[in-house]
Amino acid sequence: MNMIVPLLSLAPGERGVVVDLRGGPNFRSRLYAMGLAPGAVVRVISFHPRGPVIVEAGGTRLALGRGMASRVLVRKL
Amino acid sequence: MAMRVVALAGNPNVGKTTIFNALTGMRQHVGNWPGVTVEKKEGVFEHRGERFLVVDLPGTYSLTAHSVDELVARNFLLNGNPDVVVNVVDATSILRNLYLTMEIFEMGLKNVVIALNKVDLAEKKGIKIDPVKMSRALGVPVVPLSAKEGIGLEELKEKIWEMAKGKIKTSPILPRYDPEVEREIEHISKCLKGTKLAERYPLRWLAIKLLQRDDEVMKLVLRHLGEEKLREIMTHIGEAEERYGRAMDLIIAGQKYEFIDGLTHEFMSYGKTGETLTDQLDRILVHPVYGFLAMAFVFYLVFKFVFAFGMPLQGLLDEAFSSFGSWLAPHIANETLRGLLVEGIVSGVGSVLSFFPLVFLLFLALSFLEDLGYMARVAVLMEGILRKFGLPGKAIIPLILGLGCNVPAVMATRTLDEERDRLVTMFVNPFIPCSARLSVISFLVGVFFGGNALVAVSIYVLAFAVALLSAKLVSHFVSGEESPFVIELPEFLLPSARSLLLHSWERSKEFVKKAGTVILVGSVLIWYLSNYPVPMGSGRSYAERLGHLFAPYLSLMGLDWKAGVSLLFGVIAKENVISTYGVLYGSVDAIRSAMTPLQAYVLAVVTTLYIPCIATIAAIRAESNWKWALAVTSYMIAVASLLGVVIWHLGQLLGL
Repeated sequence: MNMIVPLLSLAPGERGVVVDLRGGPNFRSRLYAMGLAPGAVVRVISFHPRGPVIVEAGGTRLALGRGMASRVLVRKL
Repeated sequence: MAMRVVALAGNPNVGKTTIFNALTGMRQHVGNWPGVTVEKKEGVFEHRGERFLVVDLPGTYSLTAHSVDELVARNFLLNGNPDVVVNVVDATSILRNLYLTMEIFEMGLKNVVIALNKVDLAEKKGIKIDPVKMSRALGVPVVPLSAKEGIGLEELKEKIWEMAKGKIKTSPILPRYDPEVEREIEHISKCLKGTKLAERYPLRWLAIKLLQRDDEVMKLVLRHLGEEKLREIMTHIGEAEERYGRAMDLIIAGQKYEFIDGLTHEFMSYGKTGETLTDQLDRILVHPVYGFLAMAFVFYLVFKFVFAFGMPLQGLLDEAFSSFGSWLAPHIANETLRGLLVEGIVSGVGSVLSFFPLVFLLFLALSFLEDLGYMARVAVLMEGILRKFGLPGKAIIPLILGLGCNVPAVMATRTLDEERDRLVTMFVNPFIPCSARLSVISFLVGVFFGGNALVAVSIYVLAFAVALLSAKLVSHFVSGEESPFVIELPEFLLPSARSLLLHSWERSKEFVKKAGTVILVGSVLIWYLSNYPVPMGSGRSYAERLGHLFAPYLSLMGLDWKAGVSLLFGVIAKENVISTYGVLYGSVDAIRSAMTPLQAYVLAVVTTLYIPCIATIAAIRAESNWKWALAVTSYMIAVASLLGVVIWHLGQLLGL
């Protein structure tokens, strides 16, 4: 069984499957409508110590704030 | 015969606007959706002798009740009775795009045509889609196209026509969920069966939306079926969530994607996804260090471009208007009429219109960056900084547009997701010096500081600082949820010249409209006040008397009654400040000897910050309400007065 970690802790190039979104209804619906729903495979493209996290999911590139990325839980692949 | 209505729905960045433009050409009308400040675009096209009215719905990722845009799109699909719904789907990100498609299908809409856009791009990425199989899997027609290259548009028109004529039978596929979720849907459907609501909306859609705790549908149930029914249903949902240990909307979203994923296997295959050019560029463009350097360079190029081409054009136009005035003058016998037309209207409206090239070129450059996909990167870069001041990163776009003209900039706040962000961005936008204030600043700096660019820059820095600090202050008073920071970074795509021109024209025409309306009336007013009962210069014109009224107040910041007249006229359009000084003093030399550099600096600062011009006030009222427009106006007067007084006294202390 693989570990469940926040998306924020993945390194560039690593992938994970979204398992949960920890946030209010507005936060959740925004994210899953943009492709980050439970079951979606995300790949971290780039990541800077203080900047946003750039990920790819379902053929779309998204920039996420660090706060948001820490509330997206993924199972590391 | 009435026109058939075609609704155009789709995600942002999928080429929906390009398709809309290609279908309707210049036959477009831009207005507002009733009651909200979401732009409504409509256009007409003809096919086989039938006329179609295309309604461009706001680009959305889903159809929840969380944002105005989504609600507008959803309400039109539910209640607008479109004859045909064209759902634009981006072939390069099918999975996410079909999420919206499934929501449309679940609303019970049957007359749907899928416009599968960017197929050429998808092929390049190694994504293979079989449109025939896709059509079979979805149960509705699929038209592959590349809107940018103009491929597939005729087929799309033909399909729209066939569907409107009832020649196509469709059976849109509905997502299936796990048996347990289906059981919940069934249960809630039963609760609603036979009610008034069930007659108006599809049962399944109502049930799913309730499971997702959709505010609007909950209100519908409350209004039509009463509090008890709603409580009964919500209690049931609460129990189900208890069993799952997580929110129902999350479960439904996940399973919807799972269903879509299964569906896509029937008609598409992914190639190898290597690193694209966009991936490589993004490594630099959103980098916390290189990204800012790149941004500084890009905006340097933008302003270089705008001024290199815009300034000569502005001079030319200015000359053209004044020669038109001198040509016109001898043709008018009546002295009053001549004054009104030549000195009032032609010179007043002309001086504003001469800025049109600058405004248009700035909007051309910014629209290019936006359509290219670069502005999304700027928004990502700015998020960290702007958030400290209570603004989202996306607010950078209206702020930069303000450098051209604040009217379209205020209108551009519509692109922000949260009402709160819109209000705050709108509030501080008039502080950003527009091109009219640039003319005042550059005149004063030219005359009093030998054209020292640093002095001009200091005023811009001050203006931006005031705008940001005010945002911080105001955001404390505006309630609302902070918008989540998630921005799509679209694939870089060179925009077509046609859509670029349309986009920039749409924005800059607000500027022309303002010249034709507010400025026209204002010019006549100025002309009257400065010529009656006796012409200005005598000290007895209405304008001069008004100026004297403000004199005691302005003396606090070292300015006199002449500044009062100029600033008063500047409310109509900021460049009037300088032209009024010109009339009052008669020559540049006279102006130079009348003020110290410190006074000129105070005048430049006050002109930049003191009040939005009336066109901007009107724009703020239209985008929010009178109260907000009034609040912005009084706040700006207060800030400008305060800074004027402080700078004047500080300067004197320093012996300037």
